[in-house]
Amino acid sequence: MTLPAASPTPPTAPDRALLAFANSAELAARDLYAEAAALPAFGAAEQTVLVGFHDHHLAAAQALAGLVGKAATNVREDAVYDAFRGKVTGSDKSAIYDALRELENTLVSTHLSLVGTLEGTEGSALVASILSIQARHAAALALLGGRALADAFTNAAAPLSPGATS
Amino acid sequence: MNRYSRRQMLRLGGVGAAGVLLAACGKQAGVEESKNISAVGVVPEPEGLPTAEVNDVVLLRTAASLEFNAIETYDAALGLGVFTGAFAAAADIAERLRDDHRGHADAVNGLVAKLGGEPFTCGNPRLNEVYIAPALALIADEANENPSLDVVVLAHALENLAAQTYQSVVTMLSDKALRQAAMTIGQEEARHAAVLAQALNPGLAGVLPSIDEATGKPKVAAVPGAFGPLTPIPVTLGAKNADGSRTTLNLETPSLNSLAYDYVTCS
Repeated sequence: MTLPAASPTPPTAPDRALLAFANSAELAARDLYAEAAALPAFGAAEQTVLVGFHDHHLAAAQALAGLVGKAATNVREDAVYDAFRGKVTGSDKSAIYDALRELENTLVSTHLSLVGTLEGTEGSALVASILSIQARHAAALALLGGRALADAFTNAAAPLSPGATS
Repeated sequence: MNRYSRRQMLRLGGVGAAGVLLAACGKQAGVEESKNISAVGVVPEPEGLPTAEVNDVVLLRTAASLEFNAIETYDAALGLGVFTGAFAAAADIAERLRDDHRGHADAVNGLVAKLGGEPFTCGNPRLNEVYIAPALALIADEANENPSLDVVVLAHALENLAAQTYQSVVTMLSDKALRQAAMTIGQEEARHAAVLAQALNPGLAGVLPSIDEATGKPKVAAVPGAFGPLTPIPVTLGAKNADGSRTTLNLETPSLNSLAYDYVTCS
């Protein structure tokens, strides 16, 4: 007796397109964290966390690109970047944490949608491991922003879809 | 007086020993036969495990069993009465998380029933035996100096275990919709773990991985890395041993010896 699916299955052609979109969305998140970390409102300890999350999104984008090869554009999804850029500014740290939490929750919802769509288990396993961390990002940002405990646990964000944003 | 030669003595001795051996191998009146006591020349029939398939129902029943492990652990922790003083607020968090796990258990068992399986409505017996019962015993030990803290440490480990379990079954579930359902719950477990990590190591310093300079060991982090880990989860609990160290249990996601197969029941 063995556990099923001992050999993960590679992405199909439609999977590659979806994973390439995820790669672009992760790069948009990377750039938004770079913007946030550069704001003078944040001190060194806060910048360390923001840069850490920036690096996680970069690592996610790189892993997705590694899985889909040439299908990955490795270019940020401007629609995602533009939707959040105006919120990641100023000196209201709580508002910025809220915006970043909304970004993380949006990515979690997007990746959950992908897990329910992808045929190949290599892709779904990678996306599952990414969204698990981004859910933690969202919870941590809720606490850092001084939000109620319930805000750390809940996610009401709608998923992105490739057709709607590109 | 009879006199026996050395050769005769050896011959008689050999016959006697063979008789004793044959008597030992034979059936004895009034002694119940057991397959566990084998006799020379008799090969006992092997008693293997029942044939079981690891399918979507078994994987989901296993996930449900972990939810009940968490529910039962939070109930036990609340029953210990350790949430006092600085940990008074932890009781509210524990109740909230326990209720979330009840919701998860219902959702997962709903999927099990939809697939024609029998819902699993108790904690995973194997995980109870090897992880949870020993952990609770360590926490409740009279010599334990900080049972309140240890309860939170155990809860954090169990939330990580649940998050890892849902993540690990993504490649095993045959149905894409079930993978999504699993991770919808799994990401909530990850959030639970992050919040409990902040309770153990609060503030900005507790968000990303760091090292305790005094012990050289890693501190608890709300976000342990860029990707969800699937590694054993060490949890150190209880009173100090004679050598000054404390007991560490390594929690691992369920595998072939701890799945909730069709023949595993709660009765």
